Amino acid sequence: MTLAPDEDLMLQVRDGAGEMLGVLFDRYQGPLFNFYSKLTGDRTLSEDLVQEVFLRILKYRQSYRPGTPFRAWVYQIARNARIDHFRKFPRERAFDPDMLPPVRPTDSAQEHQEVELLHRALLQLPEDKREILLLCRFQELKYEEIAELLGCELNTVRTRIHRALQELRKSFHQLTQGPAPKSASAAASENLPPRGGRHEV
Amino acid sequence: MKCEQIGELLPDYLQGSLSPDQHRTVNAHLEQCADCSEEVAVWRKLSLLPVEQPSPRSRVRFEAMLQAYQTGRSNQPPSNSRWRKLFSPWNVLGWLSSPLGAAAWSAALLAIGVFAGFHTVSPPKPPSPSPELAQVEAELANTKQLVVLSMLQQQSASSRLEGVNFTTREEQLNPQVLSALLHTLRYDPSVDVRLAALDALGRHSAQPQVRSSVVNALQEQQSPLVQVALIDQLVEWHDREAKSRLEKLRQSQDLNPSVRQHADWAISKLN
Repeated sequence: MTLAPDEDLMLQVRDGAGEMLGVLFDRYQGPLFNFYSKLTGDRTLSEDLVQEVFLRILKYRQSYRPGTPFRAWVYQIARNARIDHFRKFPRERAFDPDMLPPVRPTDSAQEHQEVELLHRALLQLPEDKREILLLCRFQELKYEEIAELLGCELNTVRTRIHRALQELRKSFHQLTQGPAPKSASAAASENLPPRGGRHEV
Repeated sequence: MKCEQIGELLPDYLQGSLSPDQHRTVNAHLEQCADCSEEVAVWRKLSLLPVEQPSPRSRVRFEAMLQAYQTGRSNQPPSNSRWRKLFSPWNVLGWLSSPLGAAAWSAALLAIGVFAGFHTVSPPKPPSPSPELAQVEAELANTKQLVVLSMLQQQSASSRLEGVNFTTREEQLNPQVLSALLHTLRYDPSVDVRLAALDALGRHSAQPQVRSSVVNALQEQQSPLVQVALIDQLVEWHDREAKSRLEKLRQSQDLNPSVRQHADWAISKLN
């Protein structure tokens, strides 16, 4: 039963089986929390926003229509919840890149440092660029779903992803090596192919 | 191929959705271009970012919220108010087939006809609307208002919800619709409809009547979910006068603990 598709569970929630929301909570609280925490850099706020998303699911459950992909629907709610929060409390928007969440130690010290710098570079991006990267890289949303979410064309999504990635690369590059041309650091992680190597996806 | 052209293909390359030919083209470019290949490397490296875990408190909060919601839905306040009784035999079809409904719709259709006539025959002249046009518009508004009032009286919660949503299309609320909404906020048996009414009323905070009703509802509502929504609304309005009422609320002995916690948060926000 726990393997029921999200959409079936949501239809049950809509029809009054509120307890089924618990299963959806277990599936989505992690991804949503990571979406918010990587976007805002604030764990406490992220937990509050996750709660708000599930409250809104209950409040607006009647508006869920069969056939709507639940993941896309829930991220629409998540975006709105964040936008509304910052509209209500604009002062809390200030973000200090030095207040990074702790990075877990990994096997390699160099990799650890790189991950930390990449995280910093991500947090330095303008919010819209950071958001689109998070949506496609971590939240498993299809480009079509992102286009609908952001209210733009599919090609615009592709362009925006590419621009965001370009900026992230520049920012990461500056943090790792300063503005000078690159070195072999891109090949530092064993999870990555050496630069210029093959990139099978 | 130039970086710009590759850039157009890169997002699909990263998702593995290019054709084999295009995939080979991109691979060939990446072997020569340090910047583009570094972009791909950065994309892959993103997967190394730590997955953060929410605190266990998060699940507890969710359980409390869900329980509050379920309790709120089963605790239905009495719905046999005078106002409701007055209109209760109404339903959309019954109302439309009644002489009053038929007359209202005839008037509406006539009004729409005349209104359309005015707009097709002559271009609109905004500086000096004719008295006839003003009258037609007033009749249209009146009909719309009757429909909303009727919807708010329906037996089915979803129809009442629709009625509430209907009111959000208007920038200015007619006093009768406003008072119907305030009534819905206080007495509607469905938690969802009361929450929607609160959302709708939130847009009309300039009306002093709205603010005072929301503050008063704080003491009357038993559903924790509605209480939390009311508290949020007062915080959003930065309603400092609400502070004393919130303090009184948090003293209530049978108050849901999550609501008390929320009231404490609100008091700190209003300070």
